[in-house]
Amino acid sequence: MRRIAIYGKGGIGKSTTSSNITAALCERGLKVMQVGCDPKSDSTRLLLNGKAAPTVLDSIRDGGSPTLDDIVSEGYGGALCVECGGPKPGTGCAGRGIIAAFETLERLGAVERYKPDVMIYDVLGDVVCGGFAMPIRNGYANDIFVVTSGEMMSLYAAGNIVSAVRSFSDSGYARFGGFIQNSRNVKDETRKVKEAAEELETEVISIIPRSDTVQECESRSMTVIEGAPDSEQANIYRSLASSLLERSKDAAGGLKGF
Amino acid sequence: MRIIHPRPNPIVAAMYTLRDLNVDVIVVHGPAGCCFMASRMLEEAGVRVVTSGLKDDDLIFGGMKPLVETLKMAYDKFKPKVIAVIGTCSSMIIGEDMGAAIRQANLDCTVFPVDCHGCTGDNTTGAILALEASNVAGLLSDEEKDRQVSLMKAATSMEKRVGMAGREYLSPTRGPTKLSAANRMMNALRDGKKVCCVMLAKKELAFRFADMFLALHQAQQKLGGDLLLLGNLDVNLGLPRIRGYAESITSELKENGVEFEVVGGLDEYALLGDRMKEKVEDYSPDLLIVIGIPHAYPELKEGQILVTDQPRQLANYLSMGLDAVGEIASHSMVMGAKTIVPLETGDTIRELLE
Repeated sequence: MRRIAIYGKGGIGKSTTSSNITAALCERGLKVMQVGCDPKSDSTRLLLNGKAAPTVLDSIRDGGSPTLDDIVSEGYGGALCVECGGPKPGTGCAGRGIIAAFETLERLGAVERYKPDVMIYDVLGDVVCGGFAMPIRNGYANDIFVVTSGEMMSLYAAGNIVSAVRSFSDSGYARFGGFIQNSRNVKDETRKVKEAAEELETEVISIIPRSDTVQECESRSMTVIEGAPDSEQANIYRSLASSLLERSKDAAGGLKGF
Repeated sequence: MRIIHPRPNPIVAAMYTLRDLNVDVIVVHGPAGCCFMASRMLEEAGVRVVTSGLKDDDLIFGGMKPLVETLKMAYDKFKPKVIAVIGTCSSMIIGEDMGAAIRQANLDCTVFPVDCHGCTGDNTTGAILALEASNVAGLLSDEEKDRQVSLMKAATSMEKRVGMAGREYLSPTRGPTKLSAANRMMNALRDGKKVCCVMLAKKELAFRFADMFLALHQAQQKLGGDLLLLGNLDVNLGLPRIRGYAESITSELKENGVEFEVVGGLDEYALLGDRMKEKVEDYSPDLLIVIGIPHAYPELKEGQILVTDQPRQLANYLSMGLDAVGEIASHSMVMGAKTIVPLETGDTIRELLE
């Protein structure tokens, strides 16, 4: 099983990118589980044609005892969609929520039952407290990628995530796999992202151009893979998906790799 | 220095301070079990201590609901005049807004939050946060608050200088029996010598240490000798509850014909060493007994007898080669006490007198 986490600043296009990767992998016949780790819980919306997946945290709230069927929704191409969920903005602790959601998935034996070939964690990267670092730690994800544009704040968040991954990798946890450039048409964008990557001793593994096709498919609540399968943009996502498979480590085990 | 022995934390210190202010109900906003040992002892002292009992759900989604419900229940059950809500590590890490919950509960009594948690620093930081919150809530004058805060700082600095807070680890000990200490005190009196007992008691512990005055007085009546008793029992100093302790103890000692000199209040133990020492030097006793918080006395040396309630403090004294006895578990005995509680040392003297 591949264990991949996609981090990035809020609003940078992580969920769109993750969903297109998942769809592209499903198209190839792989079984993919995408886990949204953002209290907004909208990571898998495009895979579910706009439907909001029930969240793991809502299901265990107030002493609930869910089954996997309650919290795993099947989407495009058989994609297994999970949303961790979280508190209302300004209350509680979303980081603790991620931890509790992972514990629930593990307790219910999600990986043992669905036996996915690929796990994709879509994680908010603005906050890297202990909870949001969960996918990096404890063997949940092996390979970490960051979605970034050439905007300064996005690159700054990317730098933070890289340093978090590196500080954990000393303990034998996940390793950093590279940047995914999600272009915003910033001036000199490709050069800026490349320079930032070089500074962090990593590389840009894919450059996704800005394309109206993405917005057009999103307005129909679809990934590009589903909504515009013959488009150039769909091929870009397909090649990104292949690249992630090439660059990630195949490892056996349950939800946790060790 | 990394200090690793078990010791009180700021939350517990805040709770004791709230008790001294005669707060009726303390709501601990945290998991059930947080501070439960201290909570039970405070319940013995007549304070109602309840918990909002946070669960994992509440850590994730916020603990507003359980806190509001706990506040309403506490109000209905106890009909209090004053409720304080104190923070704990878990509730403060997730940034709980205790003030908002208090406003939402909208109770017809004084309710105020104390934003403390276990990691704010020395345990006295919790006491200071409680004092400041009580001052804002109108329970405590600016003047008394400032006085209390300076006493807390003095106590902290004393503990770091000569107490447990200056040692990395101390294991508890029960120490020697009380027999040789009792014999030394009685022999000195029997030989017509001058015996002085200095009490530097911390708040409610005076209910137990005052028994030393009773026992020494009885011994002197029967055996002779000369006795000077110095106690920090000023009835005009301290928070309301603490002054009450001094009053009860003073009247009980007087009823028993015990004469003693007052030096400072029960909350001033950390500041009174030099004043006590001056009086002791004027008297120039053959035997000096220091009870309560002996290391608050500036000059501990061989030949003196020290009596403490703290097993780790006792280990500290014994390791310094001092002659000390422990009145272990005194604190649980005096919680809620209204009259003097016999010391083992006192009982030993009384038994020997018979």
